[in-house]
Amino acid sequence: MIEANKLTKTFRDRKRGLVRAVDRVSFNCQPGQIFGLLGANGAGKTTTLRMLGTLLEPTQGSATVAGFDVVKQPEDVRRSIGFLSNGTALYGRLTAREMLEYFGRLNGIEGAALRSRVDELIEQLEIGEFQKGRCDKLSTGQKQRVSIARSIIHRPPVMIFDEPTTGLDVMTSQTIMGFIEQCRDDGLTVVFSTHIMSEVERLCDQVAIVHHGKIATEGTVSDIKVQTGEEVLENAFLKIAHELDAKVAAKE
Amino acid sequence: MSLTQVIFLKELRETLRDKRVILGVIVSPLLLTPCLMGAVIFFGSKKAVEQQTATLEVGIYQEAEFPELTDFIETNESIEVSRYQSRDESIDAIKSFQSRAVVVIPPTARSSFQSQGTAPIEILYDQANENSGNAHGRLRGVLNEFNKQQIKSRLASADLDESFIQPTQINSTSIAEDTAVSGFVLSIFLPYIVIMGAAFGGLNTAFDLCAGEKERGTMETLLVSPASRNDIVRGKLYTIFVVSLLSAICSILGIVAAISFGQQIVSSLFGESFSLSYVNLAALVAIVVPLALLSSAALLLVSTFARNPKEAQAYIFPFIVIFLFPAALSFVFDAESPLYVGFIPVLNIALSMKQLLSDAFDLPFFTVTLASSLAYAWLSIRLVASFFQRESILFRS
Repeated sequence: MIEANKLTKTFRDRKRGLVRAVDRVSFNCQPGQIFGLLGANGAGKTTTLRMLGTLLEPTQGSATVAGFDVVKQPEDVRRSIGFLSNGTALYGRLTAREMLEYFGRLNGIEGAALRSRVDELIEQLEIGEFQKGRCDKLSTGQKQRVSIARSIIHRPPVMIFDEPTTGLDVMTSQTIMGFIEQCRDDGLTVVFSTHIMSEVERLCDQVAIVHHGKIATEGTVSDIKVQTGEEVLENAFLKIAHELDAKVAAKE
Repeated sequence: MSLTQVIFLKELRETLRDKRVILGVIVSPLLLTPCLMGAVIFFGSKKAVEQQTATLEVGIYQEAEFPELTDFIETNESIEVSRYQSRDESIDAIKSFQSRAVVVIPPTARSSFQSQGTAPIEILYDQANENSGNAHGRLRGVLNEFNKQQIKSRLASADLDESFIQPTQINSTSIAEDTAVSGFVLSIFLPYIVIMGAAFGGLNTAFDLCAGEKERGTMETLLVSPASRNDIVRGKLYTIFVVSLLSAICSILGIVAAISFGQQIVSSLFGESFSLSYVNLAALVAIVVPLALLSSAALLLVSTFARNPKEAQAYIFPFIVIFLFPAALSFVFDAESPLYVGFIPVLNIALSMKQLLSDAFDLPFFTVTLASSLAYAWLSIRLVASFFQRESILFRS
């Protein structure tokens, strides 16, 4: 499971001074559940997920992933997660199979176990046809299937998806969403960030609306609709965002 | 297998599939460099032979007759002589390339000559023109020959032996072996080429492995794997090091191959046969190891700081200054340099190579060079490792 407790990330910007990219974000995500972070670009979703993935260190607060502390046990955390984002690309001069073997070895899988796991994923994700093709020659859909296989090669108990469908066509997006649902059905803990409302409505058991680095509200999609009195999630999101902006403006 | 090894082997495999690396690190030094050097040596020697054998147009302007001298000049078959009537006409002839140089004989020249004195003779030529300079040299040779004959004749008429005007006869005997002489010639330019090979051979690889990965998004893929930042730095650094070392070795082999193939031309030009002992070859490779390590760390540092390969190219100027300038300085520094020079990075390696090639090996200097270069390499590696820990650098946007 994932527990984030007042996670905060600040950084210094030349023009804006001290920027609070993530401000005391707390949430829990249980196995067999998809937790969504919904927010506009720059809301702090990627920074939050990067802290959970140990790519960035929190300025304040703490988080545990699969029972490991993200600051004190970063390598154990990384062994326990599968991380997939629109930024996690493939090595162009490796073949699809070599790519999977490489990440298998990085996760401590070797020899017969590695061959067997790679074969299993190649079959499961229908990579066989292009397993010997160099990654830079693959189509977007094929690349995405290899990326998925790469992220689960070590059978992680936790999956982190950072806007995984951004820039993808409808068919490839469907493949990704199907995969996320499969992860939940397999009992994995899933955190998923997006700014696409339809994806939230289809996938998320729990959702947190992130605005200006803070969690504005949290609950099921139905809860949020009821809470705002809106029938459409997009309108609910906009209402919450405008209310927050108005509060900030009033303070200033 | 450790994670560093896993990363190193994968990076090396990818690098060796990069056509730019194969072309720049292996094909170019092993094939293009020997071909280019061969072409330079061939055309250079051809031109030298032409300059030695070609008939040159020269002139004579005499303000008074001096037949003993003018007849001597005109009978020389390697020059074609024209006569001029004034100094200005002579200068115009040189400027319009009718004559490359002109001998000016003043009015008092013959009387001085006949009274056993010294006749003043002037040669007009254009120092800024290569052919004029050659003609000047050729005329001086002819006039020196005339002087020799006249001295012999004057001594004979005074019943004196030639030893009268030559109290000592100086003969020089070099104790250096042939290989040392050829090594000395090699030591002038080989260090520079090898340093360039080591310093710039790993450039494409370094930029691809870090700045390139940031741009393509594969860096994030790697950072979320269980490999620690130190594993990643080491794996990438070893790859760049291997490529840099390979580049330096190919540079050395390319030059040795060029010299071996062009042996006859080189012998005819320098009068020496070139050869490089296996011991010297091995020592050259050994001394280049810390240099390759230092340049790899420096390149990885630039690549880590840059957001993409294009930006890395923009940051390359300080790197060029650090490596190119000391390498170029090795042309002017003697192989036998003071011990403190052994602390100057890159230059110390170049001078150690010079020492190895020209039989001037200096163990304390070599030790200081090796120790200081390894220390600089270690510092650079530490700096790269600390850069990799800094989010503000790794995730700069």
